Amino acid sequence: MAEVRRRRKRESRVLRYVVLGGWALFCLAPVLWFLSIGLRPRTEIITPQPIYLPTFSLDAWRMIWSDWPMGAYLRNSVLAIAGSVVISVSLAIPAAYSLSRYRYRFREDIGFYILSTRMMAPAIVAIPIFFLFRNMGLLDTIWALMLIYAAINLSLVTWIIRSYMLDIPPELEDAARTDGASDLRILWEIIIPACLPGIITAAVIAAIFAINEFLFTLLIASTSSAYTMSVALANFTGGSDGVIYNAIALVAFIAFVPVFLVVVAIQKHLSRGLTMGAVKG
Amino acid sequence: MTDAALSGGEAARAASIAPERGLRRRSRFRRRAFPYLLVAPAVVYLLMITLYPGVYAIYQSFFHVRFNSWTFVGFDNYRSLMGDREFWAALSNTFVIGSIALALQCALAMLLAFHAYRDPFVKGWRIVFLIPMLFMPSAVAFIWKLAFNDGRIVSDLLMRVGLIDANVSFLSSISLARMTLIVADVWQWTPFLFIIFVAGLQSQDEEIEEAARLDGASWAAIFWNISLPMMAPVVAIAVVLRGIDITTMFTNVYIMTQGTPGGATETISYFIYRLGFKTFNFGYASAASVLMLILTIIVAQTVVKRAFRSGRL
Repeated sequence: MAEVRRRRKRESRVLRYVVLGGWALFCLAPVLWFLSIGLRPRTEIITPQPIYLPTFSLDAWRMIWSDWPMGAYLRNSVLAIAGSVVISVSLAIPAAYSLSRYRYRFREDIGFYILSTRMMAPAIVAIPIFFLFRNMGLLDTIWALMLIYAAINLSLVTWIIRSYMLDIPPELEDAARTDGASDLRILWEIIIPACLPGIITAAVIAAIFAINEFLFTLLIASTSSAYTMSVALANFTGGSDGVIYNAIALVAFIAFVPVFLVVVAIQKHLSRGLTMGAVKG
Repeated sequence: MTDAALSGGEAARAASIAPERGLRRRSRFRRRAFPYLLVAPAVVYLLMITLYPGVYAIYQSFFHVRFNSWTFVGFDNYRSLMGDREFWAALSNTFVIGSIALALQCALAMLLAFHAYRDPFVKGWRIVFLIPMLFMPSAVAFIWKLAFNDGRIVSDLLMRVGLIDANVSFLSSISLARMTLIVADVWQWTPFLFIIFVAGLQSQDEEIEEAARLDGASWAAIFWNISLPMMAPVVAIAVVLRGIDITTMFTNVYIMTQGTPGGATETISYFIYRLGFKTFNFGYASAASVLMLILTIIVAQTVVKRAFRSGRL
């Protein structure tokens, strides 16, 4: 009996590592191969027979800095993302405070309205937004990107922060309140410091969504004054040469590395952030 | 974490904070208006990107728009949309591609979470599995475009293991072209569900599992009969969020297939984009947007609201 159970246990462990290892391979193989694309010469990418062991080359690295305004793409990405995170977090904190600390009419409807904007397909509002920005003269500027990224992320930032605020024990504020502190002072001096992990999680996830954003950026940006990395990639084509994959691969990794490091740092909060606060991991 | 929770534990909390003490010197009106004032900036901002575009799209959908000349055409756009084979095809493509991809991701994520959540190296697995999700979607689209089409890597690998004899042209067959989109989506987004499922499994009370274990139940039986039902709300929320994102699939279509072959991979988002920004038929595209908006509101009010309410977490 014990013998059978032990054997079964060993078998289940083997199965477990086959499943997990298999998926890890499926995750990593395309990534490593794409990295090798970034570090090989153009001539070894699209060939009659795929080349699995290419010659090492930094052609693509030189190319992205000399043939394209890579510095401008980086600057646009960073500015648009940082600006949008600042806008969405500063609108979300008071909103989350209101939704988590007060009882009033329509509170739940307002909360759900904020949540529901996350459900809207970008394509549905793409045309009106395009005309809106055109009329405001904001097409092809990072201001437009900032505004739209902030709007896309506002719902999830609000809900994540709200979820963390609900976890703060009320006793914390009660003490301050008896001392006569105003609501805004309590928000600033007690609530915000206490839910800082939530605010950081929300900011990181919002930043990732902003880096990834494609459709609106595609419509808004038309030159290097607003192209972000995500959309600049799609324009790495060289006329008759077709898509320039090694440059694309390198840009993909330039964007990936910081995102990966930050996400590893907030790993503990990730599941909560991705579900807008609904799942406490 | 839900509206149910809002009115429960939080009611007590709100009551304990409420009026009297701190707000002594404030007028009644200011006290009542305060929470609305706090939430107002966010709501106004969101109305600008939802209500304004919604109204604009409805208005524009009654016009035939050619560059800067708008001609009122009443319900003509809607009428021709109803008879437009491409519109219905885009809807059904979105549904077919989306539901297959979602079902696969769900099954895979569940399988992986089941094997990983009790593993001593669960943190390591999590980081490795996360990697595809952290690439920009446009970059992922290029990875798979190169692997399937331009670089023929997938064909080559399949030939090496002897599954096929000649290069496969993935863009020439309807089901293969759809499959490339599904593979790309599954590769990138299975981790999203995996992370959430693992969190759901880990947050469960271990004692219940231990008790069942001592009674001789197998891990699989415990998982199926105890763990899974207990984390149903978590699964619901994860699937709803992923489902929403899948139905808005655009980037992969734009980069990998552009709707080929013959519109078989055109999703509704790409359909609206193509009508608006490739053929500049803005009124018609707006009519399609309005129909999608109505569909979105219905889904949000029913499925999504319920998922976020049931999640008593």
